Amino acid sequence: MTVRRAHSIPLLWQIGIIAGLLAIWQWAALIHPAPYLPRVENIVAGYVRLWHGALLWSAIVPSMYRLGVAFLIAVLLGSTFGITLGSLRGLDPWVRPVLEYLRFIPAVAILPASLLLFGATDKMRIFVIAFGSTFPVLLAAIDGARRVEPMLIDVARVIRLTIAQRLVRVVLPAALPSIFAGIRIALSIALVMMVISELIAADDGLGFYILRNQRLFLTENVYAGVLAIGTIGLALTLALLTFEKRVLAWHHGWRGLVDPKGV
Amino acid sequence: MKLAPRLANAMKGAVGVALAVACWEIVRAGGIVDPRDLPSFASIVRSVAIDLAGGELAIAFLTTFSSWAPGLLIATVGGVIVGAALAMLPRLELATRPLIEFLRPIPSVALIPVALLILGIGLPMQLFMVVFASIWPVLFSTKAGVEGVDPRFLETGRVLHLSKTARLLRIILPNALPSIATGLRTAAAIALAVAITVEMLTGRAGIGFYIENVRLNGLITEMWAAILMTGVLGYLINMLFMAVERMALPWSLENRDR
Amino acid sequence: METAQPILQVDHVSKVFAPQLTPVLKGLTFKQEPGQFVAVVGPSGCGKTTLLRCIAALAQPDEGAVLHRGQQFDDPPPWLSIVFQDYTRSLFPWLSVRKNVAFGLRDLTKNDRDERVQAALCAVNLEHAADLYPWQLSGGMQQRCALARAIVVQPKLLLLDEPFASVDAQTRIDLQDMVMDICQTMSLSTLLVTHDIDEAVFMADKVVVLSARPTHVVEEIAIDLPRPRDQLATKETPEFLHLRHRVYTLVRQQAQKAAGGNVTEKV
Repeated sequence: MTVRRAHSIPLLWQIGIIAGLLAIWQWAALIHPAPYLPRVENIVAGYVRLWHGALLWSAIVPSMYRLGVAFLIAVLLGSTFGITLGSLRGLDPWVRPVLEYLRFIPAVAILPASLLLFGATDKMRIFVIAFGSTFPVLLAAIDGARRVEPMLIDVARVIRLTIAQRLVRVVLPAALPSIFAGIRIALSIALVMMVISELIAADDGLGFYILRNQRLFLTENVYAGVLAIGTIGLALTLALLTFEKRVLAWHHGWRGLVDPKGV
Repeated sequence: MKLAPRLANAMKGAVGVALAVACWEIVRAGGIVDPRDLPSFASIVRSVAIDLAGGELAIAFLTTFSSWAPGLLIATVGGVIVGAALAMLPRLELATRPLIEFLRPIPSVALIPVALLILGIGLPMQLFMVVFASIWPVLFSTKAGVEGVDPRFLETGRVLHLSKTARLLRIILPNALPSIATGLRTAAAIALAVAITVEMLTGRAGIGFYIENVRLNGLITEMWAAILMTGVLGYLINMLFMAVERMALPWSLENRDR
Repeated sequence: METAQPILQVDHVSKVFAPQLTPVLKGLTFKQEPGQFVAVVGPSGCGKTTLLRCIAALAQPDEGAVLHRGQQFDDPPPWLSIVFQDYTRSLFPWLSVRKNVAFGLRDLTKNDRDERVQAALCAVNLEHAADLYPWQLSGGMQQRCALARAIVVQPKLLLLDEPFASVDAQTRIDLQDMVMDICQTMSLSTLLVTHDIDEAVFMADKVVVLSARPTHVVEEIAIDLPRPRDQLATKETPEFLHLRHRVYTLVRQQAQKAAGGNVTEKV
């Protein structure tokens, strides 16, 4: 496959298919008006409405706040504990069964309990989001720290680094590629838990907005809300990838040499 | 592994579990939360036994299972077919890429209100949600697995004059199986979570509804029992998939060093 | 100030990995004077790496002791440096060559640190590659980077674990000359572990020949070839050939013993 073809013709195809799907949707909405089939322009208008004015503050900002705080907690907790557990191998058999059990409790199942303990507060939502998204980071960090090349640890010992220095200067950078893989999974889980926690118990946020509009049969707003959540997810994923590319520039080049198939 | 270290590890693990239970009791006794909201661990274990034997909890699990299993099955078949097609037909992949990249970042549960609008409350809606959420990991792991087939294997197939179908079934698919299996395990966990979410939100019978219902009725011990048992269920499902994987794919790289 | 005390004393060192296996090291004894270049050779699988880890205090012997200037250490002594065999695994892939070299330097002002790093890079001819990542370099350059990292801390004792084993023949010769040169100028005590008998005889003041497992010292052979040594001239002298012959015969005897006897796999 030549490079040029990969760029020009498929792009037309891609635009064509999207345009076609939109056209079919619009056509269906026009000849068969149904509550679940709002017109395209109404969805777009609803989407635009979400991003400024009162709705921005009552739907998007609360969601982003919960997501951001919980996600930060998950990344910090997960990587700190993960690196510690992963490098102190003696600790592993003690905590492994408990971890292996906890990670398989679906975060949704925790939600009612969290509601009971914290009430319908942001604390409760942040707790559930963080609970769900800590595990992928934690497990990835453990895994990354365990796979650190033992020879690098020897080098660090000959240079007489303390254990704390070894963790920060050797184990952390070596485990970072693995941690980032975990963070990417954590992000998608965090988004899901954000929506669920707002669907079940909230009076603001995107989840609540979607649910209320569904009950009011304002479906264009429902679709607009779903699109907004998708946009946030996409934007955060892209931001994360950009950040990762910067931090892990060495890793991509390195892996490219070791394993030409890529990262 | 020899028996002695294995036993030692099991003992350490048991101590770890005991410590976790002790932490639970300390949080309870420390007055950080209302002790009524956090019943003693012993009472929860007792409640697990009673509820499972009494059938209510067991029935709830079976009900959830009855939408989880077919949903996962559909997602697996669909994910493998679409994933393989995308990997083997680059034009199709290029054409549909924007659509897939558009759908992928949308958290599945955000579609629950939409699915409610179109399908109403019921098995079809729950199935749709389970399939929509769990098809992605299968799809992408299949795609990665098929794309990752060593070209030398394909060339071998051509040298041996295998037909296209034979190459697909005898070379590409076996090579992609370990990757598919990993995706399937992820999908199983996601399917369970989504099935529970739908039950919780729409009041359809099953473990999700059970947990929410006992909470609303103030049966706190029963709620914790059900939550902890859900974890056990998730754990068992994963164990089952891993065991099947190990038996069916002993040559997979992931199983070799075990 | 150098005292008359040996820089390194390996005193009846034994190491066992599991009680039911043959010990790896058994009563291994030799010593190294300050400024001396000692090469350790032995049949493959005789536990050279284990010995090196014990000497570096990365592992502790089960019996006997390793004394650095008469003292026992639980962690590597501050004046010790190592170059490991496998440069692809011992350099930090996330640090540039310069930062890899600077990794071990602490408690220095930025200026001093930069100066020391620059000097080390010069010594191994890597100034031009300072800002590349190690994995962007050839094998020989990577090994030079590892060497620079080892000498930048200005050690007294330099351990080399088969440092030239994974590079091609030409690079190997260049590296040998470079190392001899550096050790001479820095008046380092150097301990080279190798399986290459030519290399051992050519570079060292003393060759310690190890036995097959359980490993002990078979013989210590003084190499009194004059310095500076030359890859061509020195290797053609009858003295060199004679010494090489002696070491080779000893190692081969041990290798045959190992092949005939009951050998346990390296752990």
